[in-house]
Amino acid sequence: MKAGVVTVLALLLGGILAPVVVAVASADPGTSLHTLVQTRLEASGVEHPVTAVLLNFRAYDTLLEIGVLVVAGITGMSLSRAGARAEPELRSTNTLLHALARWFVPLMLLLAAWLLWAGSHRPGGAFQAGAVLAAAGVMMRLTGLPTAWIAPGPMLRLGLSAGFSVFLLVAAVGALTGRAFLAYPPLLSGPLILVIETLLTLSIGMILLGLYVAAAQRDGADE
Amino acid sequence: MTLNLLVAGLLFTPLAWAVVSLLIGFRAGRWLAGAGMVLQAGVTLGLVWTLTGQGGFEYALGDWQPPLGIGLRVDGMALTLVLLTTLVASACGLHAAGYLEADRPGQRYFWPLFWFLWAGINGVWLAGDIFNIYVGLELVTLAAVGLVALSGEPPALRAALRYLFAALAGSLAFLLGVALLYGAYGTLSLRLLAEAVQADGTGSAALALMFAGLAVKTALFPVHAWLPPAHGIAHAPVSALLSALVVKASAWVAIRLWLDLGPVLGSSGGAFLMGLLGTAAIVWGSWMAWCQTGLKKLVAYSSVGQVGYLFLLFPLTFAVSDRVAELATQGVMLHLISHALAKAALFMAAGNLIWAVGDGRIVSLAGAGRHLPLSLFAFGLAAVSIMGLPPSGGFTAKWLLLQAAWQAGQWGWALAVLVGGLLAALYVFKVFAACYVDKASGDDFHYPPRRLDLMPLGLAVMALGLGLVAGLPLHWMGIGGAP
Repeated sequence: MKAGVVTVLALLLGGILAPVVVAVASADPGTSLHTLVQTRLEASGVEHPVTAVLLNFRAYDTLLEIGVLVVAGITGMSLSRAGARAEPELRSTNTLLHALARWFVPLMLLLAAWLLWAGSHRPGGAFQAGAVLAAAGVMMRLTGLPTAWIAPGPMLRLGLSAGFSVFLLVAAVGALTGRAFLAYPPLLSGPLILVIETLLTLSIGMILLGLYVAAAQRDGADE
Repeated sequence: MTLNLLVAGLLFTPLAWAVVSLLIGFRAGRWLAGAGMVLQAGVTLGLVWTLTGQGGFEYALGDWQPPLGIGLRVDGMALTLVLLTTLVASACGLHAAGYLEADRPGQRYFWPLFWFLWAGINGVWLAGDIFNIYVGLELVTLAAVGLVALSGEPPALRAALRYLFAALAGSLAFLLGVALLYGAYGTLSLRLLAEAVQADGTGSAALALMFAGLAVKTALFPVHAWLPPAHGIAHAPVSALLSALVVKASAWVAIRLWLDLGPVLGSSGGAFLMGLLGTAAIVWGSWMAWCQTGLKKLVAYSSVGQVGYLFLLFPLTFAVSDRVAELATQGVMLHLISHALAKAALFMAAGNLIWAVGDGRIVSLAGAGRHLPLSLFAFGLAAVSIMGLPPSGGFTAKWLLLQAAWQAGQWGWALAVLVGGLLAALYVFKVFAACYVDKASGDDFHYPPRRLDLMPLGLAVMALGLGLVAGLPLHWMGIGGAP
């Protein structure tokens, strides 16, 4: 019954959307934002259009999105009451895995750093780098490398808010020096974006890893 | 220059306060919160002062003009809602400072979530860009879910998860509409969209998707089922924030989209459907409120009903004279404001009553009339506005809506407004009847701190007095944005 209703609704929605999507795909909007971004790219301080949009032209969206991530991290922490404790049942004692992790983790850190740097001129950036960073942390936790630093506490709170804080401070400095909120000083936008992205990488990694750790601790003791 | 600092201050303060209160504990967070509220009030008043002096404006963030950058629409309606938020959020924050137990483990996360919520709500009021609206609504939703889950009890977690799933489904529908509009017209700026849209299937489908998503987030009947558990189980000051401001944020987005894009993309059938769902919400929500046995559940279902009035805007502004549309818009906005003030007062007063009698059932309130006259007085004053009796803001709002329905010749909506008032009276008197039952057996009352009565009382007086000074907010809201 329920599945039938859902199927009918989904088919109905799909039937309405299909012609609309076709119409949108074949339409030609008068002004192209893509060209506008290209003409202003030089003023953005970075060479890659996606990074220019995310960290400069529409930085307000990104600032609030990072806020959303911090909120998710906070909520995750608020739900994990048990504090950090090791989880022997999750941890592998396989020595080969252990040895591999010791090779992989430094490589992943290197990859994260490269992704971060790549963001200034090709696809990459803080979100991708942060995800790799978090994955390295998950691997460390699963193979029993020390991860006490990720326990809910002052260090985690500082870490997950650091990127957001620096972003917000830069935004406020723009307003205090007579430009708009979130306006970068003309010559410093490139370096400032790099600093913001570096700290964002760290914070995004911490948030994702923190959520993983917090979720694992509840071990279904819900009911 | 000053203007720049004022707008920056409005955006910066809650976000900065969120981060700093994450690093300190709940107790220190109280003092910090007080300072933040003062700052926020100063910035808000400064902006309202500017508005009355020189009118509304568009603020380009990062000095990038739309469509490349994001513009904030700082006009009369948005700033009136910012002022409302400053009042209601401050009252809820001050109430929470005394109401929440400082020593519970998860409590240190209250202030960061509170400030993020405040920042998100202000962001939504001011947003002039449809993708930015989506981001703002996400921030509001996640912070609200976090606040519901804060108590950590299994029922609260269940309610929070249900809320999260409903809200995310709504977000996705909204985002799909945003993507379609961007694909069709090549801009995200609401101002530019309003100039660019043409009556075609794409635009109407996109708008319908966005309204469907917003209806879920606003808990419009019949997609309201997530609201009563979430608002019923949260801490009282959190419930107050959720009912007063959070559901209004998504309702406001629907209002703004409709006023900007509705004349071109809307249809009388769609407008009628929204009005019909609003009417159903008024009747069903009020009826369910009367059926409840828990005090906070009753107040929560009352929100389901009261939200319904906001959707009478759709039929009363589509294909009618300018005068009718103006009356209806004024009525709906005034209802939004007076309900926010009154509902926040109701939830906080209910929290005080529950604190006193030690459990949330309505029958347990017996004797409360003798012990907690002030909380009950605040509850009563706020209820006057909910029922729509003069001289409250709720009365003036309903009067404006009745006039709009009368002049448009759409009698059905007038009937919905009147029936809603009667049903509200029913469930309000159910609470009062329980409070004045005199209990013979021994009294077991825990008096909440006296100062906790001040916040609901203050907001209730404002809701009541709003009807007498309704001209002022209506004047502010009439001030338009950038020419």
